[in-house]
Amino acid sequence: MTLWKTVSVGITTVLLIMGLSSAVWAGDARQALSQDSALENVLKRQTLRIGFSTFKPWAMKDVNGDFIGFEIDVAKRLASDMGVKARFIPTKWDGIIPALLTGKFDIIIGGMGITPKRNLKVNFSDPYEFSGMSIVANKDVAPGKSSLKSFNNADTRVSVRLGTTAEKAAKNFLPKANILKFNDEAASIQELLNGKAACLVASNPLPENLVKKYPGKLYLPLKSDFTSEPIGFAVRKGDPDFLNYLNNWIRVCNSEGWLEARYNYWFKTEDWKSQVE
Amino acid sequence: MFDSPKRISSRDVLLLACIMGGAVLLFRHLAQGLNYNWDWTVIPGYIARFDPASGDWRAGMLTRGLYVTLRLSLWSILLALLAGTVMGIWRVSPRPLLRMISGSYVGLVRNVPPLVLIFIFYFFLGDQIMQATGITELSYSLDDSTSPVLSTLFGPMEQLPAFLSGVLTMALFEGAYIAEIVRAGIESIDREQWEASAALGFTRRNQLIHIILPQAFSRSLPPLAGQFISTIKDSSIVSVISIQELTFAGQELMSATYRTFEIWSLVILLYFILTFPCSIIVRELEKRMNSHKGHHH
Repeated sequence: MTLWKTVSVGITTVLLIMGLSSAVWAGDARQALSQDSALENVLKRQTLRIGFSTFKPWAMKDVNGDFIGFEIDVAKRLASDMGVKARFIPTKWDGIIPALLTGKFDIIIGGMGITPKRNLKVNFSDPYEFSGMSIVANKDVAPGKSSLKSFNNADTRVSVRLGTTAEKAAKNFLPKANILKFNDEAASIQELLNGKAACLVASNPLPENLVKKYPGKLYLPLKSDFTSEPIGFAVRKGDPDFLNYLNNWIRVCNSEGWLEARYNYWFKTEDWKSQVE
Repeated sequence: MFDSPKRISSRDVLLLACIMGGAVLLFRHLAQGLNYNWDWTVIPGYIARFDPASGDWRAGMLTRGLYVTLRLSLWSILLALLAGTVMGIWRVSPRPLLRMISGSYVGLVRNVPPLVLIFIFYFFLGDQIMQATGITELSYSLDDSTSPVLSTLFGPMEQLPAFLSGVLTMALFEGAYIAEIVRAGIESIDREQWEASAALGFTRRNQLIHIILPQAFSRSLPPLAGQFISTIKDSSIVSVISIQELTFAGQELMSATYRTFEIWSLVILLYFILTFPCSIIVRELEKRMNSHKGHHH
């Protein structure tokens, strides 16, 4: 009997304590939220961890093994404006969102296009660049074409990199074509050069650079990009503070013209070529 | 091996000629048939390059990947030996619970594709362990220049948490195979050894430590060494979780330079250079083990 009493009194006490403390917690919710922000953690650790994937010229390794590229410049400036060290964590593109969600890094700065589907899993900042989709075709396999429509048939094999917005664009703009998906960019390009694929859909400047490199083999069927996609930083959900910081940082950099200058350097010039080859 | 006299018949010569001819044709097709501009001049730079700025030689990107592969394999095999030995001993333990635990471990790991296992372990376990032990936090305060010993042992501090997750994953995976090797080794020891040592008053623990395990290990040396080679090869699987080892380094390099075929060829060669000497050692070991056979002590 006494045992029963002890147990019941004990349980009641525990419940009471829990009830009381939850009232206190509720008051601290806002503080807890801001304490949990990736922003706080970055400042505490003095390190911003950046997830990205090798993607020329967004991010790549130079001959010394250091990372360079448009996204790398952006990330370095972001970290230095926060007053912390930048730590680069190269990650495979197809696993980059799970890696962000499991906390392997704080932010994805890797030319990630904002899509509704991705947005269900992560939060995106405002766009800090726009990238255009283009098409590059093989002269022997698909000569003399000049419109998307001419590629949209069942005998055309289109090469894309898996999990990219190029894959989506190919599906949307070339629904009838036979789409070949590759896990890495080099393989998708090789398929085009071998003539197994008639064309390759990818974000510029890749198509333009490919034509410069293999002028006898490839050509650009379209005069200009057929899409313009917003590119944003991806962060974990439930973190308004970090998102606010990033959006305002983008505004500031845009107003200075810094983002555009860096974009032009990496995408419109080839001054950096010697650092890579 | 075979003690028959080595004779080469005319059929062997014909067969060899066919194989060689096939290989030559294949290479000619590769060199010309593929629409690919071969350029081998870039390759040496991926192994080592002279840096004019500092005036000394630096390891190229693939060499750095090779270092990571080596570190990864060494740490994994050491951990796997530890886990595998404990689990192997438990497999033959008189206590049913221990037998059940180790049996489940071995059964689970050996019946799940390594790729799946690596993903699950990396995303659900590896990180939690790194967080709980504070290694993740620790890695922020460390720097390559300030901790040269750690950098030599574990590679760049920046990638320490990921690297250790990779090591744990690999060790867990290879440990299951080593557990089976250890179990087979223990079971191959004659019953008389157990009985004799029991008669001398050894406890089970001392029997294992002083009598059984030394013999079991010396018998299992060749398969254990073989498992080490497997570990080196399997380490390429962790490229999927973005550990910067040789395969990953190769793939990164391909996305930056599009020199697909040259880089893959070089990667194959580097793996071969790494594993072939090990194979020779294994063969020597087996010869030495087999030289006792046929004599009764």
